[in-house]
Amino acid sequence: MAEVSLRHIKKIYPNNEKKKGKKGEPQKKSNLKVTAEGVVAVDDFNLEIADREFVVLVGPSGCGKSTTLRMVAGLEEISGGELLIDGKLVNDVAPKDRDIAMVFQSYALYPHMTVRENMAFPLKLKKVPQDEIDRKVNEAAEILGITEYLERKPKALSGGQRQRVAIGRAIVREPKVLLMDEPLSNLDAKLRNQMRAEIIKLRQRINTTFMYVTHDQTEAMTLGDRIVIMKDGEVQQIGTPQEVFDHPANLFVSGFIGVPQMNYFNAKLVRTGDKYTAELDGKKIEISAEKQARLLAHNVESQDITLGVRPEHIALFGEGKDMFHGTVDVSEMMGSSVHLHLQSLGQNVIVIVQTMDLQGVHHDGIKIGDKIAFTFGGNVVHLFGKDGKNLEF
Amino acid sequence: MKGIFKNPLRRWSWLFMGPIVAAFAIGFVWPFIQGIYLSFCKFRLIRDAQFNGVDNYIAAFADETFTHSFWYTALFAIVSLVLINVLAFTVAYLLTQGLKGSNLFRTVFFMPNLIGGIVLGYIWSMIFDGILSRYNTSILLETKYGFWGLIILMCWQQVGYMMIIYIAGLQAVPEDMLEAAKIDGATKSQTLFRVTIPNVMPSITICTFLSLTNGFKLFDQNLALTAGQPFIIQPDGTTIKTTEMLALNIYNTFYGSSSTSPGVAQAKAVIFFILVAGLGLAQLAFTRKREVQQ
Repeated sequence: MAEVSLRHIKKIYPNNEKKKGKKGEPQKKSNLKVTAEGVVAVDDFNLEIADREFVVLVGPSGCGKSTTLRMVAGLEEISGGELLIDGKLVNDVAPKDRDIAMVFQSYALYPHMTVRENMAFPLKLKKVPQDEIDRKVNEAAEILGITEYLERKPKALSGGQRQRVAIGRAIVREPKVLLMDEPLSNLDAKLRNQMRAEIIKLRQRINTTFMYVTHDQTEAMTLGDRIVIMKDGEVQQIGTPQEVFDHPANLFVSGFIGVPQMNYFNAKLVRTGDKYTAELDGKKIEISAEKQARLLAHNVESQDITLGVRPEHIALFGEGKDMFHGTVDVSEMMGSSVHLHLQSLGQNVIVIVQTMDLQGVHHDGIKIGDKIAFTFGGNVVHLFGKDGKNLEF
Repeated sequence: MKGIFKNPLRRWSWLFMGPIVAAFAIGFVWPFIQGIYLSFCKFRLIRDAQFNGVDNYIAAFADETFTHSFWYTALFAIVSLVLINVLAFTVAYLLTQGLKGSNLFRTVFFMPNLIGGIVLGYIWSMIFDGILSRYNTSILLETKYGFWGLIILMCWQQVGYMMIIYIAGLQAVPEDMLEAAKIDGATKSQTLFRVTIPNVMPSITICTFLSLTNGFKLFDQNLALTAGQPFIIQPDGTTIKTTEMLALNIYNTFYGSSSTSPGVAQAKAVIFFILVAGLGLAQLAFTRKREVQQ
């Protein structure tokens, strides 16, 4: 029940101090900026989170998403900028006084306490009367379906049950902000899907602002009201799942969101007067009017571009003018669809084909080695300049 | 049955087990059994041992010096157990807080453990006497000086060792759990007592077990520091060595003047073994119950 504002938030690890990132996260590999002050783990992070909003921070390992969350939690000192919870500056407020709760990837349950004691622990510390503690713990256990395990110790629970307990411990406190740091990453795929659905349901039942960190774009897309995509300590794009999917701000976002990854082609953007066309392999692609307008608004000139098309936006057709041709290299049967890897235009192109259309016609007759023709419309292409930025932005 | 020896590792296991089993049997099992037998004998040399029933045990229990040394040892073991563990845990806790120079301090605190007990005893007796001579007394003149002197010596020697075990235990406490406690609203001391300590119970088990049995078995430090002085001569002529501990009492009995002495000492040693083993096991069972698994 609170707004959270992150204004120009910055995290710098002094050079002599090693980055104390989450375990399992490779220390190097990332291209974090190094300044005279130290390694910049998070740079100029700006975000206004509305009351009851569900915001997901997503990005590859070492991008600063966990560090950002930990700064909100108060586990990590804020090197610069302002953090406000409910309009109150909390940069230097201790975690326990920020009215937040956090769920950890490792569950971080207290192994020497029963489930009930684990969940009651934060309330006991707050000196809440015993009958109220009992009521709240029972209520939370009911919501999470762990009532029957209340008297067990964590070691007697499965991973999914433990994570429910961890969530229970967080929600009994009725925190203003519920922080979740990769809560599903330790679960197997099936359980992860199930828990994801439960978090969506949980969200309807409790009255809290959520901040959720994950490296999994599916979790980000399905859970978030808004997604913050980060890389190397910098925010790449903030938007609703649909926005970041339809209008990725740059090459990184376009590649990170969507499975399988977007196809990229080296192409040319040609401007003739106020008209734009993309040229790929000598063929012209008419850009949709909507995109034309945005390009014009930014006064984009003719240039070499990276043209991106999502695999699901490529259509297979018979022969015709302005078709691209390719040979099927690999065919992955996914059940409802087939992922075709084509060799075309001197590179690998992935196309998703539905195995059966609404008329009941099967499209599963494509074999490896088949030569096929494909095309895509000017409304689904993404145009990135050579610096990787989307030219429409 | 054929299956058992099918595995080549099992077939040749006697070759690998043999030497250690033989060494253990020759060096420990056989002398131990013989020692128990001798505790029921009157002997000077092993080959002329004569069975004399439970006489040695009766004599051992009737020996006032033995009961005195028992209570003295028990008191010493308890006081040293508490002090050593509290100090070692405190030092370990402070050294795992990320203070500067922690590694140097760890090494420094561990070093006294590398010095032998006899040497320590003589060095400390000089230190204590150096101080006490200013007050015209000596560690050999008062029982309480001898007692606390030995406590100080043992703390000095053992704290560093136990500290290493506690540091290992503290480092195994997951960081996430401590952070969760922080967010749950626990203060530093609440985190320490309600989260950290319950999770280092395995270390506490090991350390209390070690310091309890060490306390009971203490010999060389006791011999070198006071050798049981000061003595009290009883009206009946027996001498009670007021700072003599069990092991030293057994040793002194064995080399005593009477012809029954070795047998009595042997009986005392068996009683001593049962006592230490029993206490150790009881203590293990007690603390094990409080251990938790992740």
